[in-house]
Amino acid sequence: MTGHPDIEELEAFAEGAGAAETAAHVAGCAECAREVEWIKAEQALFAQRSQPQVDGLWKGVEERIANTATVPAPLLRRPHWHRRGVAAAGAVAAAAAIFFGVHANRARIQEITGTAQPKPPPVAQQDQRAPAGAAGQPPNGHHPHLDAKALAALDTAENDYRHAAQVLEAEYDSLRPQLDPALAKKWDETLTRARAQLAQSRQAVASDDARARMRVLDGYAEYLRSLRDVIQDSEEATP
Amino acid sequence: MQAALDNADLLARAKTGDAEAFRVIFHRQAPGVRRFLGDLLRDDAAADEGTQETFVRAHQKLSTLEQPAALTGWLLGIARMVFFEHLRKKRRDGRAQAPEEDGPALQIDRAPNAETLMLTREADRMLEGALESLSEDRRAALLMRIDHDLGYGEIAVAMGWPLQKVKNEIHRARQKLREELQPYLEGRA
Repeated sequence: MTGHPDIEELEAFAEGAGAAETAAHVAGCAECAREVEWIKAEQALFAQRSQPQVDGLWKGVEERIANTATVPAPLLRRPHWHRRGVAAAGAVAAAAAIFFGVHANRARIQEITGTAQPKPPPVAQQDQRAPAGAAGQPPNGHHPHLDAKALAALDTAENDYRHAAQVLEAEYDSLRPQLDPALAKKWDETLTRARAQLAQSRQAVASDDARARMRVLDGYAEYLRSLRDVIQDSEEATP
Repeated sequence: MQAALDNADLLARAKTGDAEAFRVIFHRQAPGVRRFLGDLLRDDAAADEGTQETFVRAHQKLSTLEQPAALTGWLLGIARMVFFEHLRKKRRDGRAQAPEEDGPALQIDRAPNAETLMLTREADRMLEGALESLSEDRRAALLMRIDHDLGYGEIAVAMGWPLQKVKNEIHRARQKLREELQPYLEGRA
């Protein structure tokens, strides 16, 4: 062995699981032997600590989970962006409101566009009807007809999503320079993947294809969720 | 269920909405999370509240946890975020002072006698005081390693740090901890 063992090797040795090579080194190296004694002392010190009682905490967790079951999950987390400047906070909160508002109105949009999904039949029934059309398509292969009202609702929803994405992207851009480079890289990759999925959902979509348009909205919703998570995590990483 | 199922089974069940499975996860993991938050917050009521908040968030985000073996680190990562939110709120409210920098660590050139550390209330108090002398991030990383037995890679994920930074921070935290414990050891000698 050249040089001293890595800290992980010394820790393993202190726990009685080290390699023979490490043991040989420690036997002949006062510095490493001292380090091992310290590691043992730390382990002993922490091991004697008592476990806290948590039995009384479960009821509160259970109640809060039950209470949150009827509230959209994204609304449960406190929006940190309110701490920023008034203009930015207003814009980002507005973007979030648009996002959640559009998302909450999804059922209404589905109703208008006739794209509400029926409850899937049992697997056996799916097999029997498989030749009638591709999954998610009506048996006759036609997409639902869209009138002007439905098209307008979809256009508005997509514009709102796009606007929300722009606001959140600007917020992330303002946070990014303060991040650890490795963390920023990781979150850039997350957003790149989400953008790729959104781009895929938008490929060759006819404006009057209701199901395809809904898939685009779903793509935006997913992208916005990723942006929201990245922003929240960025703020938490830059105290 | 508690004895029969491992974390992977429990997580799979909890992800499908099995409340009993999540309850078992809570009772297995909550003591560690509560102790971690107690060490960071130094406030029992806040640590209890933080533990509950951690598990409520974990329940919401269960579907994002892909590796059952990473459960403890994942929960401590959530707890750390809960801690920082609590800290920011306190600072906004003007009730907390920013922690002092750890400062340069002294070189500790004497090894302790483990026997002298076995182990009294005095040692426990000393340890708590020594932990409090660390900055929050270093304390969190050190606790994840020594008190919760996470690997350095798991800590890197939970803290959002590169692996080398995890090793550096834990090394510095250890030096500071030893510096704080040294007078106690000398007093016992």
